Amino acid sequence: MKRPLLFLVLLATGATAVTAQERDELQVFGSMQSVFMHQESQLKIRLAETGDILRQRESRSSFAVQQLDLFLSKEIDESFSAFIDLEFQANYSSEKHWGSLSLQEAWLNYHYDEGLNIKAGLLFPAFNHLNEIKNRLALLPYVFRPMVYERLLSTHFFNEDFIPEHAYLQVSGVHASGGVFFDYAAFAGNAEASYLSSTNPDGSIQSDINRDFEFLSGFDPSSLKLKLFGGRLGIRTRDEQWKAGVSFTHDYNNLRDTLAFGPYVLPPEARALLGDDAERIRLGADLSFRYGDFLFEGELIKVIYDYEPAEELKLHAEQGFAYGLLGYDILPSLTLYGSLQWGDYYFGVAADYFVYTTGAAWRFNEAITAKAQFIVYDELHENVVLTPGYLHADSHRVTLTFGFLGLSILL
Amino acid sequence: MRAIIAYSVRVHTLRLMLLAAALCIPAALCAQTTIIVNDAVNVRSLSAKDILDIYTLNRVHWDDGTRISVFDLKGGKTKESFLAALGMTEEEFKRIWLRKQFTGKARPPRALATEEEVIDLVSRTPGAIGYVSERPAKNLPNVRIIAKVK
Repeated sequence: MKRPLLFLVLLATGATAVTAQERDELQVFGSMQSVFMHQESQLKIRLAETGDILRQRESRSSFAVQQLDLFLSKEIDESFSAFIDLEFQANYSSEKHWGSLSLQEAWLNYHYDEGLNIKAGLLFPAFNHLNEIKNRLALLPYVFRPMVYERLLSTHFFNEDFIPEHAYLQVSGVHASGGVFFDYAAFAGNAEASYLSSTNPDGSIQSDINRDFEFLSGFDPSSLKLKLFGGRLGIRTRDEQWKAGVSFTHDYNNLRDTLAFGPYVLPPEARALLGDDAERIRLGADLSFRYGDFLFEGELIKVIYDYEPAEELKLHAEQGFAYGLLGYDILPSLTLYGSLQWGDYYFGVAADYFVYTTGAAWRFNEAITAKAQFIVYDELHENVVLTPGYLHADSHRVTLTFGFLGLSILL
Repeated sequence: MRAIIAYSVRVHTLRLMLLAAALCIPAALCAQTTIIVNDAVNVRSLSAKDILDIYTLNRVHWDDGTRISVFDLKGGKTKESFLAALGMTEEEFKRIWLRKQFTGKARPPRALATEEEVIDLVSRTPGAIGYVSERPAKNLPNVRIIAKVK
């Protein structure tokens, strides 16, 4: 009589165990975005010596798998969870040397309570609204991200001058009060990427920090002083329809990395700034909300330097970025939007950037979104050395016009 | 006596439906939704704010540290009623869930086709929470009604 009972108990506990196991299983999910891009470029240079205007135009178009992300998530037990983000960019092929494959996040989270979470490993730190989701294209209505977050511009626009790309330790939490949540996050990480040693094509270690120390690529051989520290304080409504926050970081800009500045970017006097570690503070503010069928997201970033050579040479060194997007859900499945971006880049030479975009995102179903975006990117440099000792320009203007058609798919 | 009670319930339901129709509110929005938890969950009551925090994945652990496993319905009047009670749309929830999932902060609720599946899985999953239409507590083995929302 007891055996059937025992069997029933085992069956019942077995069924519960299966459910618990389901919850603890490794989850694999992802997103991908394929695009067709058409680009028209126009370069206009006004030469200082003669006043002549040089013009150059080009046109190009391409299909591409812009980005594919694979995420692995595991709830290890009641307190620990792990998360991995593998990112493939721009038709990645190691065989053909196209695009890139990179480990964007790999961290372990310890949850003490809602007010205290500790994340350790490679992670996107909490900075403004977009930094934590900058490569989650499926969450964004646009194809081409705000320029300081856009990876396609990363080598051109020095993204890391404006935002902290990665951190390695983050303490964060939430405090609920009335109808709102207060969020906090504090993080630490390596110095900016250019300080980290990398590998030359011949396999040797490439860096100009401390050759004696370097033996592995991907490691940060800089001192503790140069590391990244930062945080964010935020407030959001309990239904998450309104969010705002302020962010900051402290680290150093690697002005020893002279190769980062091409000869045409800096005039000779500004090149005198190179060769040292420039103390850098990034300040950020963000606001995003949904109100009825309207959505808005906006960010401000100000980068300031405390750098003696710049003061001695009386050269201005700072950067700024502002971004605003206003969208409207014309249908439950169709969002139209327009956005404005502005950036300035003072580093001995003044440069201004303006980006105007308009677009649409049409959600076919939960997994598939079709996107279209039209972008005008305008970059204006003043007082530019085109060829050291030969050509000098009063102004150097690049206008790029992009048309993007994209398909974003949740996997 | 039973016939009288059944008749009075029918009349009351009809009145509510007529009132809802008169106010141009779908009858589903006026229905009561029962929030159920696994019997082992060490919490006695939940406020509407608590339920919102759990379903927006802002609260992912019970007070004793057990993870909350959230169950959802794929569709139907009970779901409409539940969403209306929380004052949010399905799209708003899905946007929040996607961001939480893709940043590794929480897993989205598992959506089930029927209320019976919700009851079954909540009864078998430690730390589970779900919602179903109003029904007698005796029909819910290993499951406890923790709140009702309207």
